[in-house]
Amino acid sequence: MGEALELFVEEAGHIYSQFESQTVFSIGPWGVSQYIVWLLIAFVATTAILLISARKVQLVPSNKFVGLVEYLYGFVRKSVGEDVIGEGYEKHVPLLATLFFFILISNVIGLIPGAKTATGCVACTWALSIISFVYFIYYGIRVNGLWGYVKSLCPHGVPGPMGPVIWFLELFSTLIRVLTLAVRLYGNMLAGHMVLGVFSLAITSFVTVGLAQVSAGIIASGVLTMGTSLLWLLLLIVMYALECLVAFIQAFVFSILTASYVGGAVHPH
Amino acid sequence: MNITGLAILGYGLAAIGPGIGIGVATHGLCTAAARQPEMKGQLMGYFFIGAAMSEALALLGLVLFFIA
Repeated sequence: MGEALELFVEEAGHIYSQFESQTVFSIGPWGVSQYIVWLLIAFVATTAILLISARKVQLVPSNKFVGLVEYLYGFVRKSVGEDVIGEGYEKHVPLLATLFFFILISNVIGLIPGAKTATGCVACTWALSIISFVYFIYYGIRVNGLWGYVKSLCPHGVPGPMGPVIWFLELFSTLIRVLTLAVRLYGNMLAGHMVLGVFSLAITSFVTVGLAQVSAGIIASGVLTMGTSLLWLLLLIVMYALECLVAFIQAFVFSILTASYVGGAVHPH
Repeated sequence: MNITGLAILGYGLAAIGPGIGIGVATHGLCTAAARQPEMKGQLMGYFFIGAAMSEALALLGLVLFFIA
């Protein structure tokens, strides 16, 4: 048991190196990391799934797969678009649905053992959050005008001298949105996969040490060590179930936050 | 203790407040939705804005952890 724990702690210290970007191949001066490969796979999967399910649009879908995709689209339209943005939400549904489906599919791809999620790389989540940031600022300026949008950062009814202070705080909280959107998705996906990796490492190191002890003749201790790895396996399954939930929740949170930022920019308080 | 250990400790401290804040926000959403289920859709929007704002503090701690 002790040896197995030592091996586990030593190996778990190096686990972050598994998640660093490594160059898989280069195109001219640009290196392509493994995350970009998974990003492209997620892109192709998203395009294929959505185009195939939208190929034959029926009033009542007879195919279960098409029904699932339409249910998710309806969910984005109702819970994310209509409830959060309110009036004039139809225009923004395409962006929200695209973000939702891309992040969801890329997270789900990352749950396949051996695969990586593109959203576990901070460059990809920065790109996604900059898209959403530019989009809601653009719509805020387009609806209210440049000066109107700048003024609308400060809510109505704030007493005179407090106005600039509140305005400055709101400006800060608006600018920080691009950071929080990116880091929330990245942190959740990276930490989740790291937890799964740590539990998998625990299983392999306990089995390795147990087998070594059995072959060295210490059978009772070896069997006990291998038996402990079943406990780790149980924990791994529980964490995996939690990660399946997190994959959906993060896609939902990203799109609903984009929706509420767009709603705040379009209908200022 | 080295600098990484301090950074991990700092992130843990930074996560306390947002944890309480998101808990309070969820409590408010649940009680309000239990009283008036038809308001749930609108309340979800406010809930996510509030939860995102308080979570921003924990995320700043995470960013500082990566910088350190």
